[in-house]
Amino acid sequence: MRTDERLHAYIDGELDAAAALELEREMAQNPALRAAAERLRELSSAVRTQADYHRAPRRFKKIPKEKRRWLMLAPAFALALLIGAGIGLYIARPAEDAELVASHVRATLGNRLIDVASADQHTVKPWLSARLPYSPPVADLSGEGFPLVGAHVYVAPGEASGGSGARDGFNVERFARGAMRYALVSDLNRSELRDFAKLLNSGPGS
Amino acid sequence: MTDRARYEALVLPHLDAAYNLARWLTRNDHDAEDVLQEAMLRAYRHFDSLRGEARPWLLAIVRNACWTWLRANRPAEIAAGDDELESDAPGPEALAAREFDRRALNAAIAALPLPFREALVLRELEDLPYKDIARIAGVPIGTVMSRISRARGLLAQALRPAAVPRLRVHK
Repeated sequence: MRTDERLHAYIDGELDAAAALELEREMAQNPALRAAAERLRELSSAVRTQADYHRAPRRFKKIPKEKRRWLMLAPAFALALLIGAGIGLYIARPAEDAELVASHVRATLGNRLIDVASADQHTVKPWLSARLPYSPPVADLSGEGFPLVGAHVYVAPGEASGGSGARDGFNVERFARGAMRYALVSDLNRSELRDFAKLLNSGPGS
Repeated sequence: MTDRARYEALVLPHLDAAYNLARWLTRNDHDAEDVLQEAMLRAYRHFDSLRGEARPWLLAIVRNACWTWLRANRPAEIAAGDDELESDAPGPEALAAREFDRRALNAAIAALPLPFREALVLRELEDLPYKDIARIAGVPIGTVMSRISRARGLLAQALRPAAVPRLRVHK
C-alpha cells in the first residue's frame, strides 16, 4: 500500500491494529508525516462540516408512484351477455385465466392496439358507446397515476368469474360492479393491479 | 408489517442520503430529482431484494441510476478511468493547512472526476466505511482506498492558494 493511501486509511479508521501501530511508529520518527496526517484530518473535517448536504424535496417522502398507462379493452361480443349479470352467469362459460390472458395478448399484439387514442374520458366513452351494445364506464384515474391512453374493441372469450389469478407473467383481477363484470389483465404486480381494480370499482360509475 | 410499512420504516429515512448522492453525482437539482424518482421506484419494486442494512442498499441503487443517467447524458464523465487520472494525484505534502472557503470547497468537490467525487461524498458526507463504499460502487476495497486518497489529494491541490486561476494575458 502506498504511504499516502495508508495515511488516508489511517485517518478513516480503516487500518487494522497492526498497520495502524506501524504507521504511528513511523509518524513518531517523521514529523512531516505526522503533519501530513494532521492536515488530512483538517481537510476531512472541513468537507464534513462545510460541504453542502442536499436534502431531498418533500414530495419524495412517500411511496413512489409509477405512472402506468391503461387502455380500456372493451369486448364486443362477450360483454353483451354480461350486461344482464344474472342471465350471463347462466349462459356464459366462465373464461379461464389462460383464455383471458391469451386474448389479452392477442388484443395487445396487433398493429392497431389503440382504436381511439385519447386521454379524455369524454372522448373515449361516447366512442365506445357508439360501437357497443352497452355503455362501458370510463374513469379518469390520471390523478392516481393511471393516465388513460384510449380504447380498443376486441372479441373476448366468455364470461368472467370472480377472483384473481396469475398466468404467464400476467395477473388477472376480476370484480363485478352493478350489472357489469370486469376482468383486468396486466403485467402489473398483484397488489398494484388490485389497487387499480379498487380505484375502478370505487370511482364514479359513469 | 406490510411491504409498504416496511419500506416506509426502512428505506424512507435514507431519502436525504439518496438525494445528496444523486445531487453530487449529477451536480444539479433537476437531474438529481429525475434520477431519484427513477431510483426510488426501482427501490420500491425491488424491495424484496433488500438484505442487511437499507442505507448502502438504497445508495447502491441510486448510484447505479446516476451512472446509467450519466452514461446516457454525459458520457464524457464516465469515460475517464482511474488510471488516466493517476498522474494528477499529489501526495500528502501538497495539502496545505488553512481555512477553507466554503464556496471554493464545494466547487472543488464538484470539479472532482466522478469516481473520486462519488467515493469522497460517500466517505465524508455519509460516513460510510470503505467496505460499504466498495459495495455501492461495485469496486474492490483497494480501489476505494486509492480513490479516496486521490480525491482528497486533488481537493487539497485545488484549494491551495496557488490554485486560484490566474488571468491569462493575451497579446
